[in-house]
Amino acid sequence: MRKGFLALFKKDCRMLSSGKFFLMAIVFLALYTAYVNFGYIRFMQMEPYNVYLYDPAGTQAEKSPLVKTVSSMEDMDAALLVDANGVGLDASGGDVRVVVYKGAAAIDRHRTDYALSLLHPAENPAPEVLGTNTPEQKARKEITCELLFFELAAVGFLGIAAVLFKEKGMGVIRVHAILPVRKDLFLLSKLAVFLLSDLVFAVLLTLLNTGIADGVAILSAVLLQTAILSLMMALVGLLCALLLKDFRQFTLAYLVIAIFAATPVFLSANTSIKFDWIGYHPFYHVYMGLKNAYFGTAISPVYYASAVGAILLLFLAVRLAFHREIGKEG
Amino acid sequence: MKGLQYQLKSVLRDKFCLMTFLLPILVAVALNFMGSIDMSSLGELHFGVLENDLSPQTITWLERYGPVTAYETPEELTAAIREPSTNVIGVQTDGDSLQTAIAGDELDIFQQAAATLPVLYERRETAAQVEVQTLDRPDLLESVQGIFIPAVLIVAMFMGCTFNAMNIISEKEDGVAFVNEILPMTPSQYILQKVVVGFLFGSLSSIVTACICFRMSGLHLETMLLLIVLSAFVASLIGLFIGKLSEGLMTGVVYIKIVMLLFLAVPLVCTLIGVSGPLAVICNLVPSQPAFDGIMALSAGNMGTAIKDIGILAIHCVAWFALYVLISTRCKKHAT
Repeated sequence: MRKGFLALFKKDCRMLSSGKFFLMAIVFLALYTAYVNFGYIRFMQMEPYNVYLYDPAGTQAEKSPLVKTVSSMEDMDAALLVDANGVGLDASGGDVRVVVYKGAAAIDRHRTDYALSLLHPAENPAPEVLGTNTPEQKARKEITCELLFFELAAVGFLGIAAVLFKEKGMGVIRVHAILPVRKDLFLLSKLAVFLLSDLVFAVLLTLLNTGIADGVAILSAVLLQTAILSLMMALVGLLCALLLKDFRQFTLAYLVIAIFAATPVFLSANTSIKFDWIGYHPFYHVYMGLKNAYFGTAISPVYYASAVGAILLLFLAVRLAFHREIGKEG
Repeated sequence: MKGLQYQLKSVLRDKFCLMTFLLPILVAVALNFMGSIDMSSLGELHFGVLENDLSPQTITWLERYGPVTAYETPEELTAAIREPSTNVIGVQTDGDSLQTAIAGDELDIFQQAAATLPVLYERRETAAQVEVQTLDRPDLLESVQGIFIPAVLIVAMFMGCTFNAMNIISEKEDGVAFVNEILPMTPSQYILQKVVVGFLFGSLSSIVTACICFRMSGLHLETMLLLIVLSAFVASLIGLFIGKLSEGLMTGVVYIKIVMLLFLAVPLVCTLIGVSGPLAVICNLVPSQPAFDGIMALSAGNMGTAIKDIGILAIHCVAWFALYVLISTRCKKHAT
């Protein structure tokens, strides 16, 4: 049995290698790493509101150094046009008048009051800090988690399905009906190959993008969540390959998963937009499991029990579909 | 003409091709609608307080700046503050003033808001008397759309690449490629038939996407059309290369994805980082870079840059075409 499994495992590795699966993973790893380090980290910055003051008579002597002085109202208009989140203070008429571009009402009120407070700066008591991450660490963990999820759930999934459809097209699945090995070994070797490659990908992506020190600390939790997601996606990929007629049909299912299933999950899990129904979305819980692993938050045992249950159910469904497929051979 | 009819028939049957044709159009429609959705609440302040800690007046004052959620226990409040997907600022009483708490991983803007909140609270009476002039901001998502729309248009323009690659790969898998080799057809006729399919669909998809996203007239319209036509032509040529190099559907999909990612990543990173000098010249080796740059220049009304980009795309067209003809002729000679 062990010999049979190893032979199947080697064959699957060779097939993935010839199908450029590993090459694609390396290219995506390089692209993601470049994006995180050269794009996302620089892009994800939100400085406090700029405050522009027009004060020709110099009445605001106490103003904070954060206030930028402009020499005319035209200059202030031009500055606000470029920086629509900025706040203009016009002190030319004696009393201070605030000029802002309209946004959400609550934010506008806060911007206005904040700008006015800078005219008479006071000692601000530092807020109590309860977390351990810096903004950069948070951004790195967040984007690495998103990319890993996207890679496993969408990009890697496409690769898995492409490989399996190729095998199906070549008749390899039916050939297993007459091979002297246990039928389940075919499924287990596939799962083992994809699981192993996903775990290696997760290790490299995490260490390269969150840093060695941070990465090592969270690696075991991340790998556990990666294993759950990887097994689920590989089983869904296998099920698609066994049930759908050809790869082109699969691309439609893929589009639904990649765009329509993943977008609400990302929105709910990463922003303050929370959909009421998101709790019923299975991807949301898996994504939150991965995210909690990156941020070191405790994960409920109910989630683990459900994940194991889902994997077992998927495995049974795949086993059934596989036996039906090899049964066609007669 | 008959050959072209067969090519069109084969492409129209392919769901993958139809999907890639419709995708940029659907995204363009979605982006157009998004302009009317107010997503400004994303940057809103959220406050977390303990039940029965702050006075009702203080809570009403806080609600002027953003939603306030009351938590039963300090542990629940701490968990809410530390939750990475939100930027909840914890607020507690501190004598006559307020004490704030944050996770420390928030963006600067939220950290600054937490630091200044006690001062704003102390001066709440005076701030209410100031005159505020609010100017209309036409579109909150304009800056985001400014990058998204050219990116969607790039995807549409380079659809021809997918069409041609999938068309040739399908022919290879079905054995039609071998039949083509013995048909009385010259390499140039074959290239023309293949290029026309991708070029037509790529152009059509881009024109529809551009019509949804942009309102243009006169010289701007002609320049945009020229950008679309040249980009679609280069894309269909690249599709021929992918089709030629791919041994099967699987490798074809991998190549298409890599090319598409490269086509999107290079111009987006160049724009976000602001690449200049020799690196900018190197980036122009990826055909989507001049196309993206040209669209951005056209939206900003910079005709000079758009015409320069058209020139670069024209060079790409000639270079890729010459390379493909050269390779095809060599292969044909080698085969005979």
